[in-house]
Amino acid sequence: MSRLATDTLAAVALRLAKMLLQAAAIVVLVFLLVRVVPGDTVDVLAAQGDLTEAQQQAMRHELGLDRSAGAQLVAWSAAALSGDFGQSIRFHRPVADMLATALPTTLTFASLSFAVGIVIAFTIAIAAVTSGTGKAVALVDAVNIWSIAFPTFCVGVLGILIVSVWLGWLPVLGSMVLPVVIIGIDNAGQIVKPLHEELREATAAAHVRTARAKGLHPIRVVVVHLLPTALPIALTLSGLVLAGLVAGTLTMEVLFGLPGIGSLLLNAIHGRDYPVVQAAIAVIVVALVAINAATDILHRLIDPRVSA
Amino acid sequence: MIEPTEPLLSVEALSVEAPHGPLVRGVSFTVGRGRTLALVGESGSGKSLTALATLGLLPPGLTVGSGTRARFDGRALPLGDEPAMRSLRGRRIAIVFQDPMACLNPFMRVGVQIGESLQRAGVPRGTARRDRTLALLREVELADPAFARRYPHELSGGQQQRVMIAMALAGAPDLLIADEPTSALDTSVQAEVARLLARLQEHRGMAMLFITHDLALAHRLADDIAVMRAGEIVETGPVARVLSSPRLPYTERLVSARRRLLSPPPAAPAIGDEDAPLLAVENLAVDYPGRGLFAAPVRALAGASFTLARGRTLGVLGESGSGKSTLAAAIAGLRRPAAGRIRLPGCTLTPERPTIPPARRRACQLVFQNPAGALNPRLTIAQLAGEPLRLSGVGRTAAREKSAEALAAVGLDPAVLDRYPHQLSGGQRQRVCIARALLCDPQILVCDEAVSALDATVQMQILVLLKELQHRHRFAMLFVGHDPEVVRWIADEVVVVHGGRIVDRCAAADLDGDGRHPHTRSLLAARFDRAAA
Amino acid sequence: MSLALSSAPLREKRAGRWPVAVLAAGATVVAIVAMAAIAPLVAPYDPLDQDLLALNQAPDAAHWLGTDHIGRDVLSRLLVGTRTTLTIGFGGAAVALAIGGGLGLVALALGRLTETLLFGAVDLIRAIPPILLALLLVVALGAGAGPVAIALGLSYAPFFAYVARAAWHREMAQDYVTAARTFGGGPLHVLRLHVLPNLAGALITQAAIVLPRCIVTESVLSFLGLGSSPDAPTWGRMVADASRTIEIAPHAIVAPVIAIVVLTTSLSVIGDDLRRRFDPLRHARATPPEVEP
Repeated sequence: MSRLATDTLAAVALRLAKMLLQAAAIVVLVFLLVRVVPGDTVDVLAAQGDLTEAQQQAMRHELGLDRSAGAQLVAWSAAALSGDFGQSIRFHRPVADMLATALPTTLTFASLSFAVGIVIAFTIAIAAVTSGTGKAVALVDAVNIWSIAFPTFCVGVLGILIVSVWLGWLPVLGSMVLPVVIIGIDNAGQIVKPLHEELREATAAAHVRTARAKGLHPIRVVVVHLLPTALPIALTLSGLVLAGLVAGTLTMEVLFGLPGIGSLLLNAIHGRDYPVVQAAIAVIVVALVAINAATDILHRLIDPRVSA
Repeated sequence: MIEPTEPLLSVEALSVEAPHGPLVRGVSFTVGRGRTLALVGESGSGKSLTALATLGLLPPGLTVGSGTRARFDGRALPLGDEPAMRSLRGRRIAIVFQDPMACLNPFMRVGVQIGESLQRAGVPRGTARRDRTLALLREVELADPAFARRYPHELSGGQQQRVMIAMALAGAPDLLIADEPTSALDTSVQAEVARLLARLQEHRGMAMLFITHDLALAHRLADDIAVMRAGEIVETGPVARVLSSPRLPYTERLVSARRRLLSPPPAAPAIGDEDAPLLAVENLAVDYPGRGLFAAPVRALAGASFTLARGRTLGVLGESGSGKSTLAAAIAGLRRPAAGRIRLPGCTLTPERPTIPPARRRACQLVFQNPAGALNPRLTIAQLAGEPLRLSGVGRTAAREKSAEALAAVGLDPAVLDRYPHQLSGGQRQRVCIARALLCDPQILVCDEAVSALDATVQMQILVLLKELQHRHRFAMLFVGHDPEVVRWIADEVVVVHGGRIVDRCAAADLDGDGRHPHTRSLLAARFDRAAA
Repeated sequence: MSLALSSAPLREKRAGRWPVAVLAAGATVVAIVAMAAIAPLVAPYDPLDQDLLALNQAPDAAHWLGTDHIGRDVLSRLLVGTRTTLTIGFGGAAVALAIGGGLGLVALALGRLTETLLFGAVDLIRAIPPILLALLLVVALGAGAGPVAIALGLSYAPFFAYVARAAWHREMAQDYVTAARTFGGGPLHVLRLHVLPNLAGALITQAAIVLPRCIVTESVLSFLGLGSSPDAPTWGRMVADASRTIEIAPHAIVAPVIAIVVLTTSLSVIGDDLRRRFDPLRHARATPPEVEP
């Protein structure tokens, strides 16, 4: 027993180490990509106001932009680890403050859409394998085709058009209801088909047949014997949804004027506010890497076979 | 004792319908109280579907035909009524399936899974249920209470099947359906599980519907037998009568396939013993890379030594995971020796020089267990059989002609040349593989479980074919298998592999003689009453 | 309460025939490609011409699909935008196939070390969603059809590398590959006859799946103001422009949205069909084998 526990612990530690490596690799990549962009922050400022060449040089020195990329990376990382992401060039505020202001909106939005998507997908998929009728299966296909055919930003635009312009129901902008529904359905559509296939295979699985041969009540068969089998795939699919949420969050925040990380990032990109760009992407990516690691570890803890 | 007025289960005109036609037609049988009916047939004969239909557990898309009538314990069996069938399942009729690893829920401790069945049988939660769980485990000879806390993957195949049996017994059923309960198990534990089932059936006075492809097993366990073929029962009657004097040609063939295995093969033409060995394996060891980055390699085979001469056959007998297939792969030059050497015609494989030079490659050919996997599904039989010829520079038309000859030599119509592998039967595919191997003109033919995936009647045809081809071409053959009777029939000499080592060796005829290694005896123990079947 | 616990029998589509939906989707894509080819000839106006006397006009005889907020003809922009949209979509998928599939195959063919190195590196950055990577790359590479196609290609390349690796290892483990080796077949023979044909199917299928995603991602990027340059409009950019004046000129947004939806749906239908066609098990499922004689 204790040996098993040590094995699990070692595997978890290994996964966490991989997570840190991934996060570091991505942060470095993002840092370098932002450095490749022609023109730096000072150029942007110079274009806005009158800055003499000397002032520009002084500013570059002050911001550390005259040092090598490696040195800048080390300095930035060290500061970031202590929660200091530098100053916004446009707003002259600490980036960390701006992130802290934007984060709750994005977290609320992302978790609500995630929950809506998971609930819809599971409800439809379970209904489709248990009802035995074609209607629920058709619903699986319909939701799946919907998410393939209608990119979320198109649905969002049409949604605003219909709800706000034609029906006159206000206010749409600034409200999370419509975007959460749109992204929720889209998330559901991305996973409902593989989820349904997995569940259908699981209903034909030998151990589910055994449970039925024992004469167990169908609800018990589904809850105790069928669903746990689908958990690993459900975890994998949830990871997919989370990655998809990034695109959804970006577009919906911009479209519906939600003041989250997505809006912050895009405004920063357009304003060439690189410290903000870098920090916002770092936050998003580190969150994704951490969630990936968490799903892997959860999978390991749920399935007794993995630790064998 | 109540005098039975009618059989416990009687099924009349059972049919199972699939969208493209019936899979089971007009099947009728009865199982008396406390009696055992064996339903035998080859794969695809519909015997398992018959059992599942009786339980109302047909896979999605299949339905019981409307003309079907069934009675159980004096009442109509409510085949179409799921809630009514559910109340019978587990309590009056229980089932044990073939593959216990897949049949147990991998996420639940086995004690809990047995407890679920007890709950259905009305045993209250708590001490009573715990005690009954342990009692059931003891009844299936898993005496250690620790078993209840294990997960299925922590048990061996035999132990898993015992848990399945305990679960089936939990509701004290009147009828136990056993669907190939020993086929997925290792040879050496098959006998124990079969004996356990027989004892439990007698002890509890259950009726049993025993489904199997193994006539010897049916003979040992059953009172009556029903032989199925292509969805119909072709012959039925008391087991002794049907097996000793089968009335139909198909049953005759099924019985004789087994009986032929028990009689010696046609005598080989005399071979000069002075021939130097074609193959010499000396102190061979083979490693597999360990799981994980820094894991040490796992030794799959160690200290194997033997020789094999032209025209002779060495049988390699062992269970899955014993290292027998590793041995076959190493001899074919597909696994690097970790120690020792393999002397092949024209080259010697050692840890330092593990590859066969291209010019010598074809001297040693492989016949695989699964012929479907050995034939690329995207190519025609002409392309597949011609592959070795085309590789040695033979033109397309010449290769086609030679392929047709080679296929004719293994009993295939040259018309198959333009078909794809999936359009052939399993036996035909294996013939293609053998023809293709022989086109390389090998001196050594390595057959790795070459007939295990085939039905009994086809198995015999392929074995006879191999023997004939060996007489004609005088190649040496290494025949790897798990079935002692198959290996004994085809081999001149046998080595028994267990745990990566050769534990026993003898002439094939002496395999059930005295002084054999205990493992050899346990492998042979699975074969009951061989004289009778 | 009665739960039957069985799904309706799957309707097995007859492989080999072309379902109506696939034919319709194919025809749609062909029509759109043709439109892209002849767009400059048939477009009634210059897509960049601003008619400041006709801002936000509803569809009429002069402007079939109306005009946008700076008086540009929506129909002309839609027609000409087809070309840029398709170029970027197909270009992105092609770059992804070439880089992901190509590098993946080279690494696999060279042996375990190169495979470990390449896929180890890809694993590290796998956590970045394509949209975010594409966004960063567009920022770094600059606007315009070429850079956007390259950015999309780089972002989707890992998908192809993984598909190539999975197909490679599946094929290499087949008994028919082992058999070919015992016939004296060298690595080139095995690759040519057995591995590459099966790999090609997997990669083409993946390309068909990625293609509509590239188009959608490009639209999203354009919508966020990061895609193509203003003088070569794409459908996504039209949606973005029109969304600012949605209240007074809703017609300007409907046309490009419908165009995007029709194109991506058609491509997805085709991709789905290809996936079924190249399914390695399809042959075995299509026709039952002969019964043993």
